[in-house]
Amino acid sequence: MQSDTIDPKLIQEFLSFTKNVADAPKLVPAPDEITLESSPYDVAYECDKVRLLHFKPIVETKAKFPLVISYAIINRYHILDISPKKSWVRKMLEGGIDVYMIDWGNPSNIDKYLDFDDYVNSYMDNCVEFVKKETESKSISIQGYCTGGTIATIYASLHPHKVKNLIATAPVIDGWKDTTVVSNVAKHVNVDKLVDTIGNMPPEFMYYCFSILKPFEQGLEKYYKFFKNIHDKEFVDIFLRVEKWLSETPPIPGELFKQWIRDIYQENLLVQNKMFVGGKQIDLKKITMPIFVQTAVGDHLVSPECSMPLYYAVGSQDKTLRVYPTGHVGMIASAFSQKQVLPELIQWLKER
Amino acid sequence: MSQDANLPLDYFKHVSLFWTDLLHLMSGKPVALTSVGPMRNWTNDIKKISTEIIDSQDAMVEFNKKLAEYYKQLSDTWAESQKKVNAKAPSIPQDSEQLEAYKRIWIDIFENDFTQLFDSEKFGQNYGELVSAELELTKRWENIQNVTLQSLKLPTRKEIDEVYKELHELRKRVAKLEKEAPDAKRHD
Repeated sequence: MQSDTIDPKLIQEFLSFTKNVADAPKLVPAPDEITLESSPYDVAYECDKVRLLHFKPIVETKAKFPLVISYAIINRYHILDISPKKSWVRKMLEGGIDVYMIDWGNPSNIDKYLDFDDYVNSYMDNCVEFVKKETESKSISIQGYCTGGTIATIYASLHPHKVKNLIATAPVIDGWKDTTVVSNVAKHVNVDKLVDTIGNMPPEFMYYCFSILKPFEQGLEKYYKFFKNIHDKEFVDIFLRVEKWLSETPPIPGELFKQWIRDIYQENLLVQNKMFVGGKQIDLKKITMPIFVQTAVGDHLVSPECSMPLYYAVGSQDKTLRVYPTGHVGMIASAFSQKQVLPELIQWLKER
Repeated sequence: MSQDANLPLDYFKHVSLFWTDLLHLMSGKPVALTSVGPMRNWTNDIKKISTEIIDSQDAMVEFNKKLAEYYKQLSDTWAESQKKVNAKAPSIPQDSEQLEAYKRIWIDIFENDFTQLFDSEKFGQNYGELVSAELELTKRWENIQNVTLQSLKLPTRKEIDEVYKELHELRKRVAKLEKEAPDAKRHD
């Protein structure tokens, strides 16, 4: 028989929740009041809107080669240094790695003709040359995250003698094998018409793509959890930082976006060694340096099936593949990444 | 008159174009006589804008069709998911955890069904066509803006794009020359 009374626990929970919502502005800062800068750095090199950040060492450098991180072209690099406790960069510095990061900046209309050639053979190559000169190294280690992983992979294929080690973290490689909803949208968009009509890919288009990724979990449940845990300072701090990071997506240069969608998601040229960048064919077999491919089983932005083919396509003898039980962001900015992903990677780098 | 002119939209378009063209022709000579120099452009501009507005009707119809289909897909999936939740609801134990359990079931079912929708061929196809129709409208709007910009002797989007392209190529050439310069010095 159904009870006619409401469980007092439910009423108590409802009242507590509404109180949390009312108290929230008194307890937490507005996203605009938060600064995402965490670890101190110097701007070592600048070219157009691209900056090369050199993070200040925390301990004595133990790895033989400096590391240049090629961040993705979606969102900004801050997620890799989101807070001291979950910072990818900080953990690397603590592990004795000399860390540089490429900040691709905020492209504007004037940058609509920038393409893979500019990103790989100009910006990235300039950064690598700068680091080589500054650190007096013949070659350097490169890590690429997400679409930055694609750029790093192409770079390693075109300039293998400059890359000592390659780390590809959730790289976008095999567009046809990608099982995410983003790839479904990407495969059906007339990208030539899109870029010809609006130029750079506006952030709003990317926000749409984010909105169809777990819309109920990410759109409703996570905000419920935010208010429910409003008194948990650490939870709230990381939540707001990630939210702010998510909301700051720069536009993607039109030509780069066009080539990325067409060559990787629609025609899948990269993994078939048929993609051309700066007039040169990308042959993944030319990647012969040690390679570490990191993927996450719960990645709903770049599925492991999309990243893993890199491991099999390269010519390297020394190669490592890891599929972690986490997600796209969890792999780089979580307690799990601090405990498992990073120690393993730092060890791998030190051994090489 | 086109063969499809029996369709209401095409007929409307035909009639509108007919009168726009005819009025333009009829007014051509008196306007030319009374206008001085560049002001003659105003009549041409009005014709161009009218044509763009008329042509954009097709794009608007296509856009509305795809948008309606988009919302239909979302609402059908919503209704289907809610049915599944309703069917499962009676099996949720009626205890203090009932609300939390209901919420979990609701999110899981909706998440699963909507992900299936977003991953489907029919969604991808319609979404691609919806964006394409929206871009067609954007293009028409831009063409109208271009008429105004040209009449004010300001560069159009296409002309600005040409400048951006030229700048991009110049930047590349300068960067290449800068890279080659130390080599050239060495050879000297």
